[in-house]
Amino acid sequence: MKKPLTASFRTRLFGALLAAALVPLLLCSAMLLQIFRLRMTDTAEEQSRDHLSRALRALDEGYTGFSAAADALRRDPLVLGALTVGGVEDTRVNAQLFAAAGSARNYARFDLYDREGGWRYSTRNAPEERRLPLNWGVLHLAEERGALAFTAAGDSTDAASPLLLGAAPLTGRDGGRAGYVVISLYQSDLRQLLEGVYGAQGTLILLSDYWRPVYCAQPSLAASLAPELRGRLLSGQGLEGLSDDFLYSVERHAPMGLYLVLRRPQVFNRDTMGLLYTVSASSALFCVIISVLMSLSLSRQMFRPIAQLREAIREVERDNLDVRVVQLRDDELGELARRFNGMVAALKRSRETLVENQRELNQAQIRMLQAQLNPHFLCNTLDTMKWISKINKVPQVALMSTDLADILRFCISPEEFVPLGREAEILERYIEIQRMRLSNSFTFTLSLPAGLEDCLVPKMILQPIVENAILHGVGGVENGCVEVEVSEAGGGMLRLTVADNGEGFPPDMLGPFRRTGRAKGHLGLYNVDTILLKYYGEGCGLTLERKADGKGAVVAATLPVRRKEEAEC
Amino acid sequence: MKRSVLSVLLALALLPGLAACAAGRSQPAPDYAPDEAHRLVVYTSHKEEVWRPIVEEFEARTGIWVDVVYGATSELLERIAQEGKAPAADVMFGGGIESLETYRDCFAPYTCAGAEHILARFRSPEDLWTPFSALPVVLIYNAKLVSPGQVGGWADLLDPALRGRIAFPDPAASGSSFTALVTMLNALGGDRESVIRAFTENLDGVRPDSSGEVPTAVADGSALAGVTLEETALKRIADGMDIAMVYPEDGLSCVPDGSAVVKGAPHEENAKLFLDFTVSREVQELLVGEFCRRPVRDDVESPDELPALDELPVAGYDLDQAVRDRDAILMTWAFYFGEDAP
Repeated sequence: MKKPLTASFRTRLFGALLAAALVPLLLCSAMLLQIFRLRMTDTAEEQSRDHLSRALRALDEGYTGFSAAADALRRDPLVLGALTVGGVEDTRVNAQLFAAAGSARNYARFDLYDREGGWRYSTRNAPEERRLPLNWGVLHLAEERGALAFTAAGDSTDAASPLLLGAAPLTGRDGGRAGYVVISLYQSDLRQLLEGVYGAQGTLILLSDYWRPVYCAQPSLAASLAPELRGRLLSGQGLEGLSDDFLYSVERHAPMGLYLVLRRPQVFNRDTMGLLYTVSASSALFCVIISVLMSLSLSRQMFRPIAQLREAIREVERDNLDVRVVQLRDDELGELARRFNGMVAALKRSRETLVENQRELNQAQIRMLQAQLNPHFLCNTLDTMKWISKINKVPQVALMSTDLADILRFCISPEEFVPLGREAEILERYIEIQRMRLSNSFTFTLSLPAGLEDCLVPKMILQPIVENAILHGVGGVENGCVEVEVSEAGGGMLRLTVADNGEGFPPDMLGPFRRTGRAKGHLGLYNVDTILLKYYGEGCGLTLERKADGKGAVVAATLPVRRKEEAEC
Repeated sequence: MKRSVLSVLLALALLPGLAACAAGRSQPAPDYAPDEAHRLVVYTSHKEEVWRPIVEEFEARTGIWVDVVYGATSELLERIAQEGKAPAADVMFGGGIESLETYRDCFAPYTCAGAEHILARFRSPEDLWTPFSALPVVLIYNAKLVSPGQVGGWADLLDPALRGRIAFPDPAASGSSFTALVTMLNALGGDRESVIRAFTENLDGVRPDSSGEVPTAVADGSALAGVTLEETALKRIADGMDIAMVYPEDGLSCVPDGSAVVKGAPHEENAKLFLDFTVSREVQELLVGEFCRRPVRDDVESPDELPALDELPVAGYDLDQAVRDRDAILMTWAFYFGEDAP
């Protein structure tokens, strides 16, 4: 019994603590993670846009230099002359070429080709291949566009050959083709142009118009990544899902026919996420451990007084009311223990009272049984006396003892209520005895309507009133008269009146019989009044009146009309 | 308890929402991908150094994005055959024409622009394919280990002195190897089965994994002689490999490789443009200038240093018959070489 209760209580406590600890923790970490992530992603996106636009500006700057150089050469009569006619000193042409290229020659090689595609002048060493095909590649493109045009050339991993070629046709004075200016950008040139503008974390990849690799700071990366990027573009998948570790953003530089792809590491790559998840998981684990410990300790703290209380209750069940719970604490459980102690004490007190009452009751019953013994003996004795007096021809004694025996028998009978007829019968016997005692010095009339004979009244209710009338009313009066009248008072009430023709009550006693000091000396009336009041409640009782013709007292008893079946209810 | 469980569930339900929030914020990149009208899918067995300049120049001139799928000839042809009525490829670029002929059901005839300039000997009768370059099959040998004159023709490959030291790829996998085998059978004449038997015995179970390994094996001396294409041999010699090349004196075959439009190609017009481009003057000149290949156009000169085809002892090569007999020859080969039939 003890084990499951502990277990279930502890489990619930543990669950509640765990929920209270884990739910806010998880919510909090999830939200923090997301907010952090959003902020970081936003920042990173802004940064990459910034980097890309800086790279674009750098390329723009280069392109402006290139086109300015091409324009200058296109209008340079010396250069045009040298390419078409010849006969110009190389140094002068070179000087013009250097001047036109200006600072742009720091990150590009400028060559002049004649109209056959043969190499003539350069800002750097002479190229290996001294002839460029007119119907292929960059010269073909320049011829078709009629202006400066760029195209990707060669292998992006090759440092020795140009990665990006630009060419512009030069038109001679006669309107014919004079030659071409060719701008070659090598790996080192592009590096110089773009180095440091796109941040240290990102990697910039230059792709051609058709997404083939042109340049990357890490050449092998361009070679391996470009086909993948191109494949995703062509299959319409977008670059987002390419890798979990990197993000890609793309810009286009139209004049040079280049796409700029900036690859930057995911702010939240798998490692970072793993770390954050690990931290969250460890916090959660920590919470679980704390919850276990807390629930154990709390449940122990709570369970000890509860166990004491339970033990005490069991003792009470075993009828040990002397048990008390030791109250060590001042909290709710302490109060519970205090109240329990009070309850047990009260229970003990009330049981003691109950036992005491029971004992008293038993004693009363015993006394009653004892009391009943004597009247029986008296009845039997009176019967014996009756027969002895009959044998000895003393009829008065016989009559008196018969009446007395009947009255006595009536008195000790177990019924509490008797019909009025029977009560009247016993009253006649009592009157007979009193006549003999007082030698017929008064008259007695009893008026009982036949319809009221079966009304139930408390036993011996009339006798004390009549006795009172005989003793006090007609005591010293000649031709004393006692009249008993039973009538219905209306409202379901019965009125019993006993009238005499004696002195009457003093005026201050008239009215409802009050059990005050003034009623002393009338113990019989007092008893009757009390009985009526106890049985029937307020409104029932005795009233002391004066006779209507002024001579004599009237004692009226008022009680409800009850018949046998009603009384049983 | 129930309430706390509900809270946890609520929290879990919120997480994807937040995550979606985070994901939703990234802006969609502008779509740089070309539309369908500017696309072309090319299956090629040419090496990258060959297809790349051609494809890139094609892209620059036409604005068509070319998606190149590289693989071995037989593998790509098999793939085209499997794709059947819903082909992914538009053009098969590369592969000997007898291989293309074998899969003729997969291709649609197309007469390219400038077809009148293509040498008649290289033209497909129904224009099922368009030739790309002429590729004579040659013999190579290790110049240090083999004395000049020891390997001069097909017959020398049966010489027991070379037993187990001949680099000859599997004819079932390599188109040039199959061409060489048919040429050899034609050159030597007689009973085919006995020639194949004698040759496989002399190979002694040795063979390189691919045709690309032949010059390497000959150069490093693991093989004394080998069979390869003229352009491969010239290229490797130019790269500095110590091998010598000889045109077989008893009969030279010159089967071109070619390109063909796949039947039901999704970008058929672009495919035709591409075929036109492969036989254009510019590309044919590039072949001569860059790849040591012989052009198929009559208005483009072969590399100056090479002997003209007309001066060489060309063996008769019946394409139709080669295609017809292909299975039988390969079966016999596999039987004697000791391999499972293809």
